[in-house]
Amino acid sequence: MTKRPSLFSLVLALPLLVWQLAFFLFPLIFLVAISFWTVKMFQMQPDLNFGNWQRILTRGIFWDAYLHTMILAASASALTSAIAFPASYAISFKLSETAKRWLIFVLIIPFFTSYLVRVYSWQVFLTDAGIINTALGYIGLGPFAMLNNNFGTLVGMITLCLPLVILLQTFSLNFVNRDLIEAAHNLRCGRLRTVFAVIVPSARVGLVIAALFAFILSFGDFVSPLYLGGGNPPTLSIMITDITKSGQQWPRAAVVAIMMIATLMTVALGAITYAYKERGK
Amino acid sequence: MTSSPIVKFDNVVKKFGDFTAVEKADFEIGRGEFLAIMGSSGCGKTTTLRMLAGLEDPTSGNIYLDGERVNGRATWDRDTPMVWQSLALFPFLTVQENVEFSLKMRGVAKAERAERARKWLDKMQITEFANRNIAQLSGGQRQRVALARALVTEPKILLLDEPLSALDAHLKVRMQAVLSNLQKDLGITFVYVTHSMSEAFSMADRVVIMSRGRIEQIGTPVEIYREPRNRFVAEFLGSANIFEATVEEEIAEGWKVIHEEGRAIIPASELPDAKTGDKITFIVSAENMQLSAPDSEQDGIEATVAGDEFVGGTAMIFLETASGKELKVQKSHEELSTLKRKAGSKLIVSWSAEHCHVLPDE
Amino acid sequence: MGNENRIINGWLMVHIALCLIFIFAPIAGSFVFSLNSDRFPSLPLGEFSFKWYRLIYEDPLVWAGLFNTVVVGLTVAVIATVLGFGGAYTDFRYNFFGKSIYLALALLPPTIPVVIMGLAMLAFLSRIHLSGSTISVIIAHGVMCSPFAMAIIRLRLSQMDPDLEAAAWNLGGNEWATLRHVIIPFTKPAIFAALFITMAVSFDEFAVAWFVSGLNETLPVKILGFLQGQVSPRINAIGSLSFLLSITLIVLAQLLLRNPEAEKK
Repeated sequence: MTKRPSLFSLVLALPLLVWQLAFFLFPLIFLVAISFWTVKMFQMQPDLNFGNWQRILTRGIFWDAYLHTMILAASASALTSAIAFPASYAISFKLSETAKRWLIFVLIIPFFTSYLVRVYSWQVFLTDAGIINTALGYIGLGPFAMLNNNFGTLVGMITLCLPLVILLQTFSLNFVNRDLIEAAHNLRCGRLRTVFAVIVPSARVGLVIAALFAFILSFGDFVSPLYLGGGNPPTLSIMITDITKSGQQWPRAAVVAIMMIATLMTVALGAITYAYKERGK
Repeated sequence: MTSSPIVKFDNVVKKFGDFTAVEKADFEIGRGEFLAIMGSSGCGKTTTLRMLAGLEDPTSGNIYLDGERVNGRATWDRDTPMVWQSLALFPFLTVQENVEFSLKMRGVAKAERAERARKWLDKMQITEFANRNIAQLSGGQRQRVALARALVTEPKILLLDEPLSALDAHLKVRMQAVLSNLQKDLGITFVYVTHSMSEAFSMADRVVIMSRGRIEQIGTPVEIYREPRNRFVAEFLGSANIFEATVEEEIAEGWKVIHEEGRAIIPASELPDAKTGDKITFIVSAENMQLSAPDSEQDGIEATVAGDEFVGGTAMIFLETASGKELKVQKSHEELSTLKRKAGSKLIVSWSAEHCHVLPDE
Repeated sequence: MGNENRIINGWLMVHIALCLIFIFAPIAGSFVFSLNSDRFPSLPLGEFSFKWYRLIYEDPLVWAGLFNTVVVGLTVAVIATVLGFGGAYTDFRYNFFGKSIYLALALLPPTIPVVIMGLAMLAFLSRIHLSGSTISVIIAHGVMCSPFAMAIIRLRLSQMDPDLEAAAWNLGGNEWATLRHVIIPFTKPAIFAALFITMAVSFDEFAVAWFVSGLNETLPVKILGFLQGQVSPRINAIGSLSFLLSITLIVLAQLLLRNPEAEKK
């Protein structure tokens, strides 16, 4: 059935396609192209030059940032998943339908608040003389350094990811067959063992996807590492903003960006392969 | 039906990829006829209807509507309204707006639209619901809205795709009467797709039986019931006992044949050009079977009662022969009252030769 | 066992509460700080004050930013919803060679880190001499918001009786008439929800806008500017106001999406 597409179908399908080709795919391809360009007299010039690649990839500072970003994103992903799971489990299995719906609605709200404002708010909470340290001081603790270090960065990243991860985990847990859990209980499978032997494997795809989203968001985030983590050592995102905003060395920023995309694609592919891997040994 | 047919299917084939949904459909529908297309799901009946409506295009062959070839003509350029299984009423429109829809699509002025819609609301006795939302109506009321919506353009033909399947049994019977009367009243053609034999046989002038994309038989309900063409139709009707037999010799009363359970005589009229050794399939309808006590002198097949089932005022007795063949006998309760029968008891099953019907296509 | 159950459930509820506190502390905090006279709020809190609101009210740059945000937000909402509607309908109705590529192109933008989107957009748009203009922000936000619009409208289309469209064709409406008289009325709540939600997404997006906006900064980019400068509780005041605006849009969208369900039964 190879019919010629009708005018009607083209009018509906093409605008989105053209828009995303021109303003999404093409800029990304262009990014790859300019990574081979050269900058002379503060002007980018088309070229096929591997200098930018060589310069970035042989620098220790790039690899330090790379490692730092990986560790931060992986920690944020693992921590967020671990914190989210008991909450998602409780929402999915212990709450009434009405309570569930309300909580889901409440968890959507943060998506529409400014991340910047929330990060700024955390600054106020976390500074040495801030609210948390003063409160701890009343009971004779601290002060703790919570800002301009990895702790601060992770607080910001978890703030960014937690609502999304809880929502994704809850949705995947909702699809776990309740009879399976009954069956496990009947077989005298203990509560905790049921969770790890029955529920987690059944919801694996959703749990892995949730963790993957947390990784992607944290890996690309430049706000928390900069304003809560102090920006030192820099993450890859901070490197990109620094290079871009401080001059015309966009080709070098493009190299960093491509390395990030390659890493994300590898991680995503690995995670999805793992998520859909055949169960059993 | 002296005038030209309103619909003609000329060797129509419909394929979806490698799958043949309809294979060589070749039939006509007369003006004012109530035609039912019947078969189990996936038999191609709905595809046939959709091709007529212009929702699918035939892969090959021609479809003529009112004498014109309509292949490739979009459904909105035909006047072949359909009543859908899901009814497909527009939930965001009121009852009256639903009924007016096709007039609006045809550019009829507002005042005239309202007037014509009112007429059909009246006819379907749903005027009082004109300004209601669809969600506020009962199943039967929705059915009437769907009919009014389809008929408002006064088409020559109405297509119905299992319109009653969502109703409960009681309402179904009432709606069958409504449809039957409506069709007679309007004098237009109804093409009615269903999987239900009782719906098809009780309403239709002629029935098309389909299976796996093929038309197995076309005929009036009586023709099909009395003279099924092949094993599929006989089995589909559900009340026939089917025998495989070999023709032995011609005798005065007809042909003597050997079947799985013994010998039988088939009237010569059923086997016009048979010869010894021919393989045939014949049926005997369940209501034409006789039951007698095992100690009677009756010649017949001995079988064990396996169970029974009530069908209206009659009972259907299921029996099993020594070789394991199942036989069905349908009898009124009075006829059965003289007979001792319970599961496990042995009875003699017999029939008279005139009730044998040979399946011509086997 | 019943007893142990109750204790575990209790702890689980406490855990949910802690998660919510963690998620909403910065949001609530920014509200409180915005009404507090202290520049560096700490315990005990300073006195109640509208100082920061007055400061942003008097700042012409904030007003300029707000103007840009609203212009961008409204335009983006319309563009993204139109594009998203086309994409959703295409996915709903058609099967064609390369459909998965079409869908990937349509839906992937939100998974690309914003810094990378920002850099790619900046490099590309400056090459075609569009960077630094409001149009460039609109283009970038169109890319980022249309997937949301598409998802919302696609979800509504999947609730539609698949016969509904064919029924309209069968009753004499061609594809255009059916689009106008059946598909759009049916998806109307989702269309409005998509308008509001894409507007809200555009209102809060700062990173890509920061890369490409140049001097025509939107409000979130302005906040980023404040954040880079010295600490200023004006951020809280702006944040609180834009939060209220976003939430209004979301609640409107939510009400629109809920209504048809209530209608059904």
